[in-house]
Amino acid sequence: MHETSFCGRRLLLFAGALILLSLAANRSNARAEDWPQFRGVNSSGVAPSTYSLPTEFSHTDKVKWSQKLGDGIGSPIIVDGRVFTTAMTSEQKFSVFCFDAATGKHRWQRDFDTGKLPRITPPNSHASSTPAADGKRVYVHFSTLGLLALNAADGKMAWEYKLPSPAYLMDWGAAMSPVVYKDLVLFNQDDDLNPMLFAVDANTGKLRWQTERPDMLAGYAVPVICEANGRADIVVAGTGKLKGYDPENGKERWTCNTLPRTLMTSPVVRDGIIYISVQSYGDATRTLKFALLEWLDTNQDGKLARPELPKEFWKRFDESDKDSNGVIEDDELDTAFQSRDNQAGGGTTIQAVRGGGTGDVTASHVLWNIKNRSPSNISSPVVVGEQLFVVKKGGLSSSFDAATGKTHWELARIKNIGDYYASPVAADGKIYVTGENGFVVVLEQGPKVNVLAKNDMGEPCLATPAIADGRIFIRTRETLFCISENAK
Amino acid sequence: MSTPLRYFAALVIGLLLSATASAAPRVDVVIGPAAPKLERFAADELAAQFKKLFDAEVRIADKIPAESQHLILLGSPATNPAIKSLGDAFPKLSDQGHLLRSIKLKDRPALVVSGGSPVATLWAAYELGHHFGVRYFLFGDLYPVTKSELKLDGVDSVLEPSLRMRTWKAIANDEDGWIGTGYFGLDEHQALLRQLAKLKFNRVFIVTDPNDSFVTYEFKGIHKSTATIPMEFSVSGDTSGRGAFRGARSFENPDYAGRETHADRIAAGARLLRGIIECAHNVGMTVALEISPVRFPKEFSELDQNVNLGKYRTLSIRSFTDPGDTVPIQLSKAQIRAYVTTFPSLDAINFSMADWQEGHNRSEAAWKRLDAQTGIGRQVSLKQLIVAARDRAISAWTTKPPMFPGINPDEGESTIQNNVTALDFTRALLADRDLLRLPAERTAMVGITHLDSSLFPYLDKLIPATIATEIPVYFASSASGKRFAETKKMIATIPADRVSCDAGLSLQDPHAGVLPSVPTSALHRLLEELRSRQFRGFSASFDTVGDLDFSAYFLSRASFDVKVSPQTALNELLTPVCGEGVAERVQRAFEMIEQAAALIDENDANFSVPLPSVVASHPVDVEDGAPLPEWVGKARDLYLNAMNEMYRANTRAREGGRAFTLYFARRFEFAAEYMNCLEAVRKAGVAKKKGDHETQVAELEKAIESLHGGLNAMAAVARSSSDRAIIAVLNEYGYRPLKKELEAAEKNAEKGRK
Repeated sequence: MHETSFCGRRLLLFAGALILLSLAANRSNARAEDWPQFRGVNSSGVAPSTYSLPTEFSHTDKVKWSQKLGDGIGSPIIVDGRVFTTAMTSEQKFSVFCFDAATGKHRWQRDFDTGKLPRITPPNSHASSTPAADGKRVYVHFSTLGLLALNAADGKMAWEYKLPSPAYLMDWGAAMSPVVYKDLVLFNQDDDLNPMLFAVDANTGKLRWQTERPDMLAGYAVPVICEANGRADIVVAGTGKLKGYDPENGKERWTCNTLPRTLMTSPVVRDGIIYISVQSYGDATRTLKFALLEWLDTNQDGKLARPELPKEFWKRFDESDKDSNGVIEDDELDTAFQSRDNQAGGGTTIQAVRGGGTGDVTASHVLWNIKNRSPSNISSPVVVGEQLFVVKKGGLSSSFDAATGKTHWELARIKNIGDYYASPVAADGKIYVTGENGFVVVLEQGPKVNVLAKNDMGEPCLATPAIADGRIFIRTRETLFCISENAK
Repeated sequence: MSTPLRYFAALVIGLLLSATASAAPRVDVVIGPAAPKLERFAADELAAQFKKLFDAEVRIADKIPAESQHLILLGSPATNPAIKSLGDAFPKLSDQGHLLRSIKLKDRPALVVSGGSPVATLWAAYELGHHFGVRYFLFGDLYPVTKSELKLDGVDSVLEPSLRMRTWKAIANDEDGWIGTGYFGLDEHQALLRQLAKLKFNRVFIVTDPNDSFVTYEFKGIHKSTATIPMEFSVSGDTSGRGAFRGARSFENPDYAGRETHADRIAAGARLLRGIIECAHNVGMTVALEISPVRFPKEFSELDQNVNLGKYRTLSIRSFTDPGDTVPIQLSKAQIRAYVTTFPSLDAINFSMADWQEGHNRSEAAWKRLDAQTGIGRQVSLKQLIVAARDRAISAWTTKPPMFPGINPDEGESTIQNNVTALDFTRALLADRDLLRLPAERTAMVGITHLDSSLFPYLDKLIPATIATEIPVYFASSASGKRFAETKKMIATIPADRVSCDAGLSLQDPHAGVLPSVPTSALHRLLEELRSRQFRGFSASFDTVGDLDFSAYFLSRASFDVKVSPQTALNELLTPVCGEGVAERVQRAFEMIEQAAALIDENDANFSVPLPSVVASHPVDVEDGAPLPEWVGKARDLYLNAMNEMYRANTRAREGGRAFTLYFARRFEFAAEYMNCLEAVRKAGVAKKKGDHETQVAELEKAIESLHGGLNAMAAVARSSSDRAIIAVLNEYGYRPLKKELEAAEKNAEKGRK
């Protein structure tokens, strides 16, 4: 061994210190094996796990443990060997649970009185939001309570941050989820009244910044982080536009105006590229106005009267009724609830957008875009290996080359007819696709469709599964299952 | 804290407490000291409603308090001295009449809640809830969106029924009835009965079957060993709409779950029926059982080896070969006594004259005996009756009326022969005065059901005045104009002014089956006919329960107010609990559902009846590659548009009432998807005949997806075992067979590709 110079020793010490700092920093953040928020690390839906995961299982087979929770459709998350999940445990009681991930042992439960619940539309649940956690705290959203931070160790309240109650013209109800980025809790609340992106200090619960998104309509995309061009952007998909924001101050850095009107899905990011799959009902001309006239115009006179709108929107109605004739119609209706500058309509698209841009990148950063050829009622994509995989209602799946957008297969049945609200997830060379009917179809990862198994979880399931440390956590409508090869 | 401060704090707290206390209005309800049980129950119900409506503090007492903020006198002059003291000012009420009237009691304002009988007083209490905006649905109560002020002055409402018998068929214990209440356990029955009482129904009707699990008995050494219960369906594995079953592996009547032995099943069945009877009595309803005096379980065929079992796997008297044989009479009595002794608290027995057996003809001998007893032969001959039955335009109760597809004059002839035999037989039975004797010197009231329409003009000759007759006009609720016109003619032949007649009303179109049906405008027209013909009342039957909220409400209101129309009733039902702008959309939707049901009624009798062939038979029916007839597309569009209207109504019904609107939106979505499914099944069948397996696969996939979507839509709002039964049945008879068909088609397609 060569004697290390003083300078070299100092460098080694510095490097060692960096590693220790890094490790210390990681203790307060999620470990790589964790699944710390909706769809795991950066909401990718891909588990970095090297463990072998079961292919065939059911609600009675390979069940390491299970817990009856109560109604809910939010996903479980796993951090530091703990599983966090939520449920409605009685009519106006919302509960957050913590279980030991290995044994299912009940660590703690925190109950909240919700007060009068807002209107939602089935199959949505009031317990629809997926928590996020960083090792210290677990962050939870509930429509009437706002953002809550609970100590991960014991469930005690660390802080709460009140948010405006989300309002929905069509009564869909809330289903957005918080995510953690560094010391920020990011929460995007795209509703039909005050769409806004919030960044709250994870340690204190104080608002760091908030960014209005006035040209957005109700949507459910979670923010994702895109590191490209030497910087990180918070990327949020919304009505008509995919936008990048500066994490420091929430200022908009770029916009890519290629999306349809309603976002039910979330993008994923890999290697500085953002992938998104979206379907919004109708063609490009179907702006919000047409949906309003179809569903809210109760007397079908082609105009909207004040009583035809939910009360939360009456103020907006009054502002929009420019000629004060008691109805909003024609031009008034075009812009009463949808931004004049963002009249996005319906449509379907799967696309890849290069991150790291500035300004309007619509013409410059779209790598590929598959329009109106992709399935309707589509899921969020999962990008794993070379492929981008999506599934739609009816159990029709499609796979594309992530780099080029070329088709591997299109609209192939995965032998499980039904609805798909959960997003597909991937690990161990497999893609797990959860149907609303409670069947989890397992496909081989790769460019040819190959169904490996169809597994019955016994109950309807709308929540996206979580994967950590060789275990799959499946939250059906009422129950949380831990599935493992090691289960007896 | 210093002493003055303490005093001040105590004063503030005291004031706050008194302010809080005075915020809740106080209501005193005065009942008679010896008030009957139903009146005490009425007071409790009223108190519970006022608590919810006004957050009121309600005190129930048997004396008028010295002071009161709001005073209610509940009962009748016979039961409550406070009401008796009102003297002649109090109107005369029938035993079903009831009133709400604001009065001055020695200058004190008060409200009288009164009825001509204890149950009528209970109805008056419910009418008061209705006055304040509470609406009674079969699934539960909804309270008004806008809380009204608690004001007891200015109320004056006297209600007397124009239709005095308002019967609800609680159990139709046959194969077709299983998607109704056949899967209701006692808890679910009790909840439904409590709602029916609020809607002023006054009788429960239970249809028994010779094979059912309610009774057992022995005759000539043979034990009744049959005890059928509703079929158990698997809902585990790949089941569409499985969310409705909340993780259960199978769907069955919970009261029969795990009851494997005959004794266990009989015990469970008897418990169920006793519970229904008890609950009905507790809310002021009487109970009638329908029994066939002429059909028996198959084990009794040992009494005569020459018999054939009929359609319903039962033995009938027509199977016995010797006309002079007393065995059938004795067997029938044994069966009837089994019901009477097992359920001694029942109130009435209706004898069904239905007999589906195709046996040899005993009707001529029976006719002679009837003629000898009644002189009927002077008015009509059996031959003339048979001709009339063969030529009739519409049947009272058979499922294939001649004017519609499935015409069968022979069935008319058979029916009249069976009726004559059964009537003769029943007369012989009723000669035994002890047959229907109940404990405590009671005797069950008697009714006759399922007579053929060709007998209607002669009812006053054939049926003694003491016996009530239920005239089944089961098809009258169809919106079909043709059917209604014929029904009206049929009703006109009934001498309802001379015999006690109830109309058997189907609240669903006879062939709606699993599809929704809300035939309220047809019911409206029919009720007008019944009133004008002086019918005593009606007996409402149905297949599925979930659709019936409005029909039940309409029947309830229209029975007490001849001016009520479907439009006014719907507005009155929904506006308080859903807000303005909802009833209009719902009305449009219901009109379209009636039109769709009429199309089905006039075109395909078995279109959606929950039988094994309901979906899967459609490919088999393909003739020459024909697509589904045009009317199917029209019906589908009607369901689709009705769904859209209900979703609009649902978005408008924001502060309540969505239990009603969303249910129907999803129910109509199911219907539209069901039609889509049938269309695709037919196309798959056409492709199969042509050997085009690729198209067959594609169409079967569409069919399965549609059915799955429809069942999922229903599952999201399923709230009764009737809804769950539809889902379970269509998985068994639709979804799974179609999946098997798809697997086979895929194999064929694969072979074709190779």
